[in-house]
Amino acid sequence: MDNGIFQVYEDEIQSLEEEVKLLTEKYEDSQQESTFFSDEEILMSIKSFQREFQGESKGHESPSDLKAQLESLEKDLSFLMKFTGIQFTSHSKKTVEKTRDRTVGKHRLSGHCYSVSFQLEFQLLEMQNKENVSAVITDLSIIMESGEDSDVSKFVSSTEERGNLLTFFRSLSSYAEWYEHRRFTFLHFK
Amino acid sequence: MEEGKVYSPDGVFAHLAMLEAQAHEAAVKQEEKEQQEEKLARLKARVQELRAQRDELRAKVDLQQKGQLGKEGVVSDPAQPSARAVVEWNIKRIKAMLQVFYLTGISGKLTKRGVCFCISTAYEGTYLDSYHLDLLTKPEEVQIHRHSIPIFIPLEQIATKYLQTDIRRFLAVLSDHLNAYVGRRYQADQLQEHFSNQIEGTLQRNSLCNLLVFNYNVSKKSQTFPFNARLLYGDLCCSLPTEVIVSCTPDAPASLAARAAAHSDAFRRVALHKAFRSFGSAAESVDGAP
Repeated sequence: MDNGIFQVYEDEIQSLEEEVKLLTEKYEDSQQESTFFSDEEILMSIKSFQREFQGESKGHESPSDLKAQLESLEKDLSFLMKFTGIQFTSHSKKTVEKTRDRTVGKHRLSGHCYSVSFQLEFQLLEMQNKENVSAVITDLSIIMESGEDSDVSKFVSSTEERGNLLTFFRSLSSYAEWYEHRRFTFLHFK
Repeated sequence: MEEGKVYSPDGVFAHLAMLEAQAHEAAVKQEEKEQQEEKLARLKARVQELRAQRDELRAKVDLQQKGQLGKEGVVSDPAQPSARAVVEWNIKRIKAMLQVFYLTGISGKLTKRGVCFCISTAYEGTYLDSYHLDLLTKPEEVQIHRHSIPIFIPLEQIATKYLQTDIRRFLAVLSDHLNAYVGRRYQADQLQEHFSNQIEGTLQRNSLCNLLVFNYNVSKKSQTFPFNARLLYGDLCCSLPTEVIVSCTPDAPASLAARAAAHSDAFRRVALHKAFRSFGSAAESVDGAP
């Protein structure tokens, strides 16, 4: 029996395993992105979770591990929002393309920085090359509350054109702080 | 005579030994054959198993796509989800939100003794390197425990000025330096990558990428590099140069030398690789003129 035939089967096995992995990720992404639970549902689930799975060990993480993970993540998120001043009020993501080394996601994000609110839509392309993952923003669209201000609208359109999401957030931070300071100053004089 | 040899004591033993060896060889071959058949059967079974898995998943994903075709709104899982599923969903949701913070430029994670910040950088829509800064905030003053900031970024200076009084400001200034550095480096890399045939050798630059020197031409067909450019980026928080000197070799035609001033102006106003792109199209339009 020659080894050629083994190689054919082994190659097919490898390609099938990759395909199964990719399809599993696609399925899970889609489930995640099309599901929504309200805060009450989440709270109720956390409470009943520990009762339901007392003593279960299917090779899954234990309820207390998951709960600890959730708490740690919530603390990190709440710290970042307080520290940077950027509060996200909603975020939705839809994976529109997924292959072995390329993922494209459509994001919708809204929130506010101090009293300045914003709404964003953009596409994020992530590509896996030999060493790392590269990320590129395209189709950026920004709606800002203080859009009537001509300086702000100029800033917004040049940012949109170049896909400058990072610059948008860094400038938003300083603009919002300045705006807040100005607002308090005016209130003081009223 | 040969018959006599076979039936002599030595001949018989030799014959037996030979038969034994043959039998042994046959047994070994038989075992090998069985092992290979076993392996083949295992591989075939695995392929069947994976194909079935793959087909099942394909059907599931198709069903999902069909279910979403008509509705734009969010859909709750019709089957009552388990509490575990809800918790896991929430964990994924928060992780996704934390990834968005990465895109804003400042993200991080709480640690036992403080915070580990991550400063991300980008040039226009392309995200580039990210840098870590592990800060200790207890017991009294803020300390930098570990970091991955390159040595040519004036971290100590910035820390001395802002770290104790305003951490936000400290990170903002550091982020400005890092983003500007990465932006300058990106422009130089883009120039080297896309216009290598218009540049003599490689671009000369320092580690901070705030001093660039190179010889170049504007035509892709020319073999000489009559222009010399020296770009100094005096403002470390800026990715455009503050000082540009473009000169032309003395033996170059006057029409070419006249363009040095226009080039210098372009380098001051526009990103390096974009300026080069504009030279290219200007040169082509001149060449094409009757």
